[in-house]
Amino acid sequence: LLTLGTLGCSEERLNPIPKAQISDTVSFDTPARIMLQVNGLYRYVKTGGFLGGRVQVHSDIRANDFINRTNNGVTGLLVWNHTVTEQSQNDVINTWGFGYQAINQINVFLDGLTANTGKYTAPTFPATFAATALGYEGEARFLRALCYYHLLQFYARPFADGNGSRPGLPLRLRGETNNDNNALARSTVAQVYDQILLDLKFAEDNLPLTPAAGIATTRAHRNTAIALRTRVLLTMGRYADVITEANKLVPAVAPFVAPTGVPHALNPSLPAVFTSGTTPENILSFPFTAQDAPGTQNQLAFYFLPPPLGNGEYSLNPGAGGILNDPRWAATDTRRTNFVQSVTSGTPPSTEFYLRKYPTGTPYTDPAPVIRYAEVLLNLAEARVRSTNTVDPQALALLNAVRGRSNGGTYTAASFASSNAMADAILLERRIEFLGEGLRNTDLLRLLQPIPGKSSVGAVNPTDALYIWPIPNTELAANSLMTRN
Amino acid sequence: QSRTVSGTVTGSDGATIPGATVLAKGTKLGTSADVEGKYSLSVPEGTTTLVFSFVGYDSREVSIGGASVVNATLKVNPTGLDEVVVVGYGTQSRRDLTGNVATISGKEIKTLPVQSFDQALQGRASGVQITTPNGVLNAPPVIRIRGVNSISLSGAPLFVVDGIPTFSGNNSAVANVPNNPLANINPDDIESIEVLKDASAAAIYGSRAIGGVILITTKRGRKGQAPRLSFDNWVGVTQPVRLLKVLNAQDYVTIKNEAVRNLNDNRVRVTPPGQPLPTPNVEGFRIGQDANGNNIDTNWYDYIYRTGVSSNHNLNFSGGTDRTTYFTSVNYSKQRGMLKNNEFQRYGARLNVDHKLFDRVTVGTNVNYSNTRNDSPNSGSVGDAAFGTAGLGRLPLVLQPNVAPFNADGSPNTSGAGLGAGPNLNPTTNAPLVGNFYNPVVDLANNYFTSESNQIQGSLFANWEVLKGLNLRTQYGIDNITFEDRSFLTSIAGDGFATQGSASNFLRTNKRWNWQNTLQYDRTFAEKHNFSVLLGNEQQQTDVLRSGYNRSQVADPFFTTIQGNFTNITPSGEFQGANYLVSFFSRVNYNYARKYLLTATARRDGYSAFARNNRFENFYGASAGYVISEEDFWKNSALASKVDFLKVVGSYGNVGNFQGIDDFATQQLYASGLYGANPTLFYSQAGNPNLRWEIGRKTDVGLSFGLFGSRLTGDVTYYRNLIDQLILPAPAAPSIGIPNTAGPGNLQNSILANVGSMVNKGVELNLRFNAIQKTNFTWTVSGNLTTLKNEVLKLANNDQSIPTATSGLETVNFTTVGRSVGSLLAVPTPGVNPLNGQRLVQRKSDGALIQYNHQGTSGPGSTGWTLVSTGANVPAPSQLADGVYFGPVLPTWYGGFDNTFTYKAFDLGVFVQFSGGNYIYNGTKAGLHDQRFWNNASDILERWTSEASGNAKYPRVVYTDNVSNGSALVLSSNVEKGDFARLRNVSLGYTFTSGLLSKAKMNSARVYVQAQNLALLTKYSGVDPEISTNGASNTGAGVDRNSIGQARTFTAGLSLGF
Repeated sequence: LLTLGTLGCSEERLNPIPKAQISDTVSFDTPARIMLQVNGLYRYVKTGGFLGGRVQVHSDIRANDFINRTNNGVTGLLVWNHTVTEQSQNDVINTWGFGYQAINQINVFLDGLTANTGKYTAPTFPATFAATALGYEGEARFLRALCYYHLLQFYARPFADGNGSRPGLPLRLRGETNNDNNALARSTVAQVYDQILLDLKFAEDNLPLTPAAGIATTRAHRNTAIALRTRVLLTMGRYADVITEANKLVPAVAPFVAPTGVPHALNPSLPAVFTSGTTPENILSFPFTAQDAPGTQNQLAFYFLPPPLGNGEYSLNPGAGGILNDPRWAATDTRRTNFVQSVTSGTPPSTEFYLRKYPTGTPYTDPAPVIRYAEVLLNLAEARVRSTNTVDPQALALLNAVRGRSNGGTYTAASFASSNAMADAILLERRIEFLGEGLRNTDLLRLLQPIPGKSSVGAVNPTDALYIWPIPNTELAANSLMTRN
Repeated sequence: QSRTVSGTVTGSDGATIPGATVLAKGTKLGTSADVEGKYSLSVPEGTTTLVFSFVGYDSREVSIGGASVVNATLKVNPTGLDEVVVVGYGTQSRRDLTGNVATISGKEIKTLPVQSFDQALQGRASGVQITTPNGVLNAPPVIRIRGVNSISLSGAPLFVVDGIPTFSGNNSAVANVPNNPLANINPDDIESIEVLKDASAAAIYGSRAIGGVILITTKRGRKGQAPRLSFDNWVGVTQPVRLLKVLNAQDYVTIKNEAVRNLNDNRVRVTPPGQPLPTPNVEGFRIGQDANGNNIDTNWYDYIYRTGVSSNHNLNFSGGTDRTTYFTSVNYSKQRGMLKNNEFQRYGARLNVDHKLFDRVTVGTNVNYSNTRNDSPNSGSVGDAAFGTAGLGRLPLVLQPNVAPFNADGSPNTSGAGLGAGPNLNPTTNAPLVGNFYNPVVDLANNYFTSESNQIQGSLFANWEVLKGLNLRTQYGIDNITFEDRSFLTSIAGDGFATQGSASNFLRTNKRWNWQNTLQYDRTFAEKHNFSVLLGNEQQQTDVLRSGYNRSQVADPFFTTIQGNFTNITPSGEFQGANYLVSFFSRVNYNYARKYLLTATARRDGYSAFARNNRFENFYGASAGYVISEEDFWKNSALASKVDFLKVVGSYGNVGNFQGIDDFATQQLYASGLYGANPTLFYSQAGNPNLRWEIGRKTDVGLSFGLFGSRLTGDVTYYRNLIDQLILPAPAAPSIGIPNTAGPGNLQNSILANVGSMVNKGVELNLRFNAIQKTNFTWTVSGNLTTLKNEVLKLANNDQSIPTATSGLETVNFTTVGRSVGSLLAVPTPGVNPLNGQRLVQRKSDGALIQYNHQGTSGPGSTGWTLVSTGANVPAPSQLADGVYFGPVLPTWYGGFDNTFTYKAFDLGVFVQFSGGNYIYNGTKAGLHDQRFWNNASDILERWTSEASGNAKYPRVVYTDNVSNGSALVLSSNVEKGDFARLRNVSLGYTFTSGLLSKAKMNSARVYVQAQNLALLTKYSGVDPEISTNGASNTGAGVDRNSIGQARTFTAGLSLGF
């Protein structure tokens, strides 16, 4: 029996080591592993249900430039209809969840990067690793800022409402590996923005000025952090600060090329900005490959392209108020000729219009745009107009640089009766230029404008509860300090 | 000096008993009767008595005197009191049993047209509730022994085949096609199935016994049995039943245009004075004509269902000498379901051999090889596909009946991925109305989903009788399965449209070895003290590997297999698991004169998935029995003539559960993926190192009895199963961002922890009555009934509510403290407001009635909802704030009722399965009344149209309204009671008499016809009250969402014995 007893138990078999996963005890053991983790942070942020597609789609379809065609509740119907509830899975719950999952990846990485400092010694680690680690920290904090910024756009009242005093987000800055810290109250909108700006400042100070070859548009570098800062500050209405930041990337006069770091500039051809995603204009785009695809019903082209390449989930709104119908968007504008596709079908024939910015069908490898140089130019232009309350000449030059590139016609100072008219022209330009890139929602909300109605869907006023999304019920259920919108 | 005695052994029912054992009392000399029940035995001088015995008959001793011909008639023992019951690591006589074990004979199920034997167990044993979740072939039935036995782990029973634990549950990697490995066991090879239910019986399986244990014993040859060949065949047809009625083309057009008209009306009414009126939506639903000018009126069922033809063939050969017995079989089954393209096929072969190597050493082997292949279309009924736009359960309900499946040129009617618009215009855009649902004829003609498995189960054992009564036994078994799962999606339309055609292949290997060493000592002291002691060790290693890949963008439509050329390739379904279980166990049985019975069981288990400190756990069971009818005072009392058997038993013990826990669940892990073209590493699992076993504390008290000479026998048992340390998804706030092991894009709102507690309790009753026992006519009736009360006692915190979503989209099941697991939460609706046709809902906060008018309200706070009393705008109700619970979703009573009649050579079996006390969320009904372009159930015609409609069945139809019907808000109007009685099996057979047989050189022949699911008695309005869209989910039972129901099958069979 004793023999049986000893035969009868194998200590080694009782401690199986997974072969396809790596234990946390060794995940910071080599420089290569740490670098892979940095890639992993980007991968989490570009989750198809977050900044890999859905955030961009949802931001655009809330407003009036698109018509829902398929009545499919899984592909944004409720967002388009403004009928989301705190239980809506594919928008309200997923965006929140995926955003915070990315944030926790970042926080766990930041904690680990610090906790494992003792391992960063020769011969495994090069002597320069401390500097490399600071750069990684910059990338991580840049991404955290990006996540918090986009979550704010859906789940918190605009900064303009009470100067950031309204409830913001639970500000998670620590890596969570268990559920001990479920409860955390919401910081104010201003507090969250403060953290975003703090992270971006750190990123700006520690990110490499020029990134390694091949990753200039897919990993953050110093100009990426500055560019995002212009967007954040514009969203907060801090126009003077937008100008300060944008000036780091935009010279006073044309040609508008970033003077330091990666020489960002408008790309002569706009379509290439969306197909390759690696032009000088692309400051940050999230790449996709056949093996790292956006995932079902997350692909930008799937939403906007008509069949057979896409699924035509949304067509361009041909009705009044829709940008397609706006006479200020010239017929000769290459953004119309390149990016608007008409499809005629049926008896009697009828025509529908689609956005063709993302032209690639399966496996949908068009990169997801995050920020590009044209936006920095228009951020600066708007900030100048709004802070100077004049028809600002530099703003005019910047606006014309964007509009002129696409043969949209150029403005002169005389085109604008007032600085307000010019600001409206910039907003119009943003609608045309960034159609389908996910900026529209913020452009309405930051100015506390109503979300215009379309088709059979009515407008949503800034005072309406549904002006922003509800907090997911999953968060309310598990976080005892959470409050509803 | 010896002499020869011969004779015939007959049963009290008149049939001879082939294989009956004949022993010369006091010697080891014996033989078995031949196929005609005849025996011949050489007995030594001094032998005065022969002992005749056979399973299912009372043993009998007969004095032989000087006779040379001794015939014996054995009394049929329908009570099974002396039958041998297989228990863990051994056998026991039912008379001595103190644990709760149900036995189902292989005979009861062998001719049933099922894919796996477990599908045939419905209603056959008390305490065993089996649900057929849908009508797809080889879908694993949901088996719940005495209630739901876990919340987040598997609550399924452990399946043990001839001593070796095997694989169960759906193992297919392709969602649309299920594959239940138990289908690899040929039902005709099964001798008996034992269900261990209480702690005493099950504790010997310790850590795996929380959901009960099902032991499968396959057939073996019998000692001295003449070689015997059996040939069993059946053929059958399978058809759909109770398909739901939907609108025809004309009614569809009427209803949808009326809905558009009502929407226009609503929008005009809410336009403030002075504002321009909105552009009216187009009443775009029209009747179309086909090429011949006939109106198109498509019955989509015609393109999806069929009459499936099946056949099953089984050949076995068995026999035995004094030293060697053997049983070998081959089988082939091809079954076609009622759904087109649904087909199951099995080839199998088995060899079971026992051989006495030396006087005290026996060796034996069991080997089974089986190949099964299951083909299924996308039914939407398995694999979380309930809301899929390709599901064949859903499509015929929602597709527009005024659209034709084919174009005039014969090509399938498609537009993009979906069904072509036909004559319909989108009311909003005036463009052709293209829906998101697919044309099923494309999928059925092109796509396929298959799962094929090859399984080898083999074991070798040796038994050494060291001393008399002391047996040392070792058994080493392997159980290896290879699955190849394949799918193909055409680029023409449907799910493969977006990827321009795609194919997937998965290869999965489950490899297991199991080694058991036991020492068993049986001894009787002083004639009355019977001891049986078992000591054992068991080790089991299981390794699972799966890899797969998906290819998309087919290079040429010619290619329909993954070996063809495609543009893209991505890995898919990669998985690696390894676990190890080591156990030490012991069981002691003691009885005094078979009157006072005691059993004690202990087991210590260690399992590799748990962290070091929590790895080992002790399990035990103890039971006692008292056979009152063995007492002299009883035997001598007047009662004894009425009550000839009476036993009380009681047991208590604890068993465990880890089935379903991930092999590495307690570790903190990082996984690797891709960011664009670059590899990544990311935090992938927040493991909980404190996880430990789930513990089930089982209590049983029972009474077995035999009345009127055991003409009426039965037992009644009270059971209580308290499950502690339940591993539950303790809530993790989404904002803490715990990763999901599936990687980015998968939410994880919980961490597993041992935090819960739940109880199942109820009563089991079994009765068997030999109502009539005449020479030419017999009627046996048996029945079983089980009651169940399930209550969740503790969750992560008192107000935790564990939601379980149906296919990730709709959540109606919530598990909360104080209620039965997975109760339904629905917003109460008293119906339709007779004044305006709006859906009424009772608000919980103040009980006020509110009503919904789709796009028919305006002003601040406009949501469509208004207060009935004042017309004021109110916030929309929500399921969480306004819902009330309906439960339980598990039947509170269930059972079976079996009648067997024989008249001369005819036999008739009528088997009824029943269950009830549960609620069902009929989500299918919600979808069937949705006012998008979807087709509706024909009873939508009973909608409100004017005040004259009064209390209409359904609200006024408003185009795009998906609230009033329950699609967007779970409404109580779609919650129904689930009581039913099903005529599950009726069989009529004729057994040929021996005269005819001997001319044909046959031993036996029987022909029969059978009908499955011949009738269903229920008030449930859905297709089938057994549907479980969420499959075996512990917390998601009672949901019917677009799944297909069970088929009706007629079979005719022929069994021949040579």
